[in-house]
Amino acid sequence: MKDLKEISTRLKIAKKNIKKVEENNRGTNAASLGKALKISTELVAAVVVGTTIGFLLDSWFDTKPVLIICFFFMGVAAGMLNVFKSAKKMHKKL
Amino acid sequence: MALNPMHQFEVYSIGPEINLGGINLSFTNASLFMAISAILILSLLFFGTKKKSLIPSKIQLITEMSYTFIAKMINDTAGSSAKAFFPFVFTLFMFVLFCNMVGMLPYSFTVTSQIIVTFMLAAMIFIGVTIIGFVKHGIKYLELFVPKGVPLVLLPLIIIIEIISYLARPVSLSVRLFANMLAGHTMLKVFGGFVISLGLLGGWLPLSFSVALTGLEILIAFLQAYVFAILTCIYLNDALNLHH
Repeated sequence: MKDLKEISTRLKIAKKNIKKVEENNRGTNAASLGKALKISTELVAAVVVGTTIGFLLDSWFDTKPVLIICFFFMGVAAGMLNVFKSAKKMHKKL
Repeated sequence: MALNPMHQFEVYSIGPEINLGGINLSFTNASLFMAISAILILSLLFFGTKKKSLIPSKIQLITEMSYTFIAKMINDTAGSSAKAFFPFVFTLFMFVLFCNMVGMLPYSFTVTSQIIVTFMLAAMIFIGVTIIGFVKHGIKYLELFVPKGVPLVLLPLIIIIEIISYLARPVSLSVRLFANMLAGHTMLKVFGGFVISLGLLGGWLPLSFSVALTGLEILIAFLQAYVFAILTCIYLNDALNLHH
């Protein structure tokens, strides 16, 4: 019985150590490079999507330049929001 | 033609033309290289899991490593509730990785440098994740577009911006992979063309660049597959665990 108890406490300590190592390994180099590549397109994509929606709505309602201008700026805002969100997510993980 | 850096991205049909109701369904070089990647993945997994030895052989090690890599990624980013989607994410990662890597071989075709291929993958993920969100949370999934603590006056504007940012997901996902592969392969070809046009005297400098860029491209090929898979996990996380 005494041996079993000793083994279980040793197992607990070993498991704790594994967790510590895993937590330390989270922000490895390849992962951070991936994150950097990820953010760069996010800004552009939202602008493109916003402008496309504006263009489509414009040709639908026949209000030629109004909606495309509005949705362009909203697309810019959405892009910034996306960048902000993913930056916040990274910060939380660190 | 050999010096044209964009010539490598041309899609042409191999074998007979097949037309079904006005849709061109011919077997192209893109389909050929997709099939090659799929066969390579299947054979890797088949031979990797054939002999389950305690001390793994190299091929078994690669298979096990790719399994634990994706399993850990899903667990870290989307939590344990996303474990049911492991086969989907694993397939996606392996397919993108092998398409990128097969494209690095000389005389091959890079499937992921075609925007329609990457956009189809991204659209599949986008539609799938949206359906999962609605199935799991019902109409409450729309809360994703309404952030907490926003004054009522700003709410209509914020909702439109949130919807645009949601719709931008498949675009950014597909454009990222497509642009990286297209730019990298074009750059390699341009430097390769410099080697030929500068000749024996001045060709050594672009040749050394070409060698270095090939290494960089292999890193990018892996990284883009990784980013593609991890973003799928992040979107799954948003759909499964609302507001976390």
